[in-house]
Amino acid sequence: MADPGPAVAVSEPRAAPGHRHWFQAARDDSRFWIPVFLLPFVLLYFGFTLWPLLATIVYSFFDWDGVQPLNQFIGVDNYTRILSDPLFWSAFRNTLLFAVLNTVIKLPLTLLAAVLLTRRWLLFKRFFRTVFFLPIILPVALSGLVFTYLLNPSNGALNSFLLERGLLKQPIDLLGHDNTALLAVILISVWQIFGQYMLYWMAALQQVPEELYEAADLDGANERQKMLHVTIPLIRPVAVIITLLALVNALHVFGIIVTLTAGGPGRATYVVSYFIYTEAFQNAPFKYGYASAAALIFAVLAFVFVTGQGVLARRAEQLRRQYGV
Amino acid sequence: MAVLSPTAAAIESSQRRPFRVRRALRLNLIAVPLLLVVSFLWAYPFLWVVSTAFKTQLGAFTAGASLVPHPLVTTNFGRAWVGAAFSDFFANTVVYAISSTLVELTKSAMCGYVLARYRFPGRDLLYRLIIATIFVPVASIIIPQFVLIQNLGLLHTRLGVILAMSGGAGALYVLLFTSYFEHLPQDLFDAARVDGADFIQTFRLMLPLARPIIAVVVIFQFIHSWNDFNIPLVFTLGQPSLQNLAVGLQAFHGSHSLDWAGFAAGMTISFIPVLVVFVAFQGYFVRGLSGAIKG
Repeated sequence: MADPGPAVAVSEPRAAPGHRHWFQAARDDSRFWIPVFLLPFVLLYFGFTLWPLLATIVYSFFDWDGVQPLNQFIGVDNYTRILSDPLFWSAFRNTLLFAVLNTVIKLPLTLLAAVLLTRRWLLFKRFFRTVFFLPIILPVALSGLVFTYLLNPSNGALNSFLLERGLLKQPIDLLGHDNTALLAVILISVWQIFGQYMLYWMAALQQVPEELYEAADLDGANERQKMLHVTIPLIRPVAVIITLLALVNALHVFGIIVTLTAGGPGRATYVVSYFIYTEAFQNAPFKYGYASAAALIFAVLAFVFVTGQGVLARRAEQLRRQYGV
Repeated sequence: MAVLSPTAAAIESSQRRPFRVRRALRLNLIAVPLLLVVSFLWAYPFLWVVSTAFKTQLGAFTAGASLVPHPLVTTNFGRAWVGAAFSDFFANTVVYAISSTLVELTKSAMCGYVLARYRFPGRDLLYRLIIATIFVPVASIIIPQFVLIQNLGLLHTRLGVILAMSGGAGALYVLLFTSYFEHLPQDLFDAARVDGADFIQTFRLMLPLARPIIAVVVIFQFIHSWNDFNIPLVFTLGQPSLQNLAVGLQAFHGSHSLDWAGFAAGMTISFIPVLVVFVAFQGYFVRGLSGAIKG
């Protein structure tokens, strides 16, 4: 027992000497199985996450098309070119704008929906929940395509409807104008992802003990007071995590841009992941090196976002322990 | 007092009951019509897709916002399913979603279990690395992933797509499993040990207890891979026979941009099965997720 050896169960019982025999056997057994259990994850993790991260750093210092051998070392040229590439900066700005606006719009709305759809008095709950969940089952890219039809300026459903009722004199092309395209994409994305965040909130709300509401009832609290003084303080720790997820997922926006706008009009909806995709895979000669430099800058951006939030998340964890939620 | 006050409360709440029923009715009278209107707008894109799938090609083009197919035809489905190879896209999507879910589940449950219950050299390093890389954007590492699949000779094969889809993700799932197994009562493990259970037998006893986490991983990863676009797009460029629905329909949209009805029929085929699964398992979504938050 004094020398636990390399592989030992986390909390070993202080076994009596008589038990030593089977314990020894169990230990040898786990020595064999621990590496076996780790292998599938670790292998894929190294191949598809760690190595790619390192390789991205290496590629970013080369001029490389993925076909020639990797021998055109160009130092920081890719970085200096990117930092003065207006397309990259548009993409960067749009990505941030998309992530922040998308989060700011979807989180309060999904929370509201979750609260409403978990009220005990509400009729037809199951039906309404299903309706709000529905768009998740559409692949993001496909919901983008559906909206290219619905928003079509010549004969799409939206314009036909508004024109027929005289609410509009000229057809509007929401996706064709600089100042409406990004907003339209953001709203469509909110529509698509709505159910997922509503689900997160519903799960969070379910963690609030029913007795607290009963106690608040006895104290004569109304719905608003219960919301402010019971629900919100108790779900705050989970709320931080949900916000974090929302921001990071929004930074990854890709499919909906490809199918709805292809970054246009002009570069009004160009985002970083689309920038990387077009530079690396769309037009020969492929610019793997250049795209890798952009990818690295993007990864750093995402990391800064996360660590900024991470401070909050750690505080949330403390609160969570405190309340035992 | 301690005996009296609950009784007093009970009396008070029973006096308030008729008031509550009336209040519930009043709230429903406001909320339900409002929700019905919002629900209609919310579901409109779906209703539009389904109704357009039954319109003629010309009808789809001129129907505007109307949801009534006139005249009603069913030929679009055949054209989409066979003619535009949606059956292939559908089969690929099913294969990708199921295999990558299985891979994710297996590797993250095994790794999470070992991380939670055992100390071994490099354990803390691995754990910290996993946390540090949870949020690495796919777009940032897709180029080396592509190079790796190419060097393995798996480019333009289904196995390559599956590996790429399930290789990068999963860090979050491992952490979910780790945290869940860490919080299982030590008594369970002690009991298993006293009964002489070896490593594998203990694992087989513990795994079913993690059902909430398994549900979350299956649901998340299935939806994620069903909807995945970025990886299938890059890894099946120029290979229509390998594409999933998201990528294939995008290509179809590009080449048949005037065939709205055919597109809608393909869409309808693609989401009806998921809708059925979704409605059937709806309960698990919330329960599984709230189990995960607790864990």
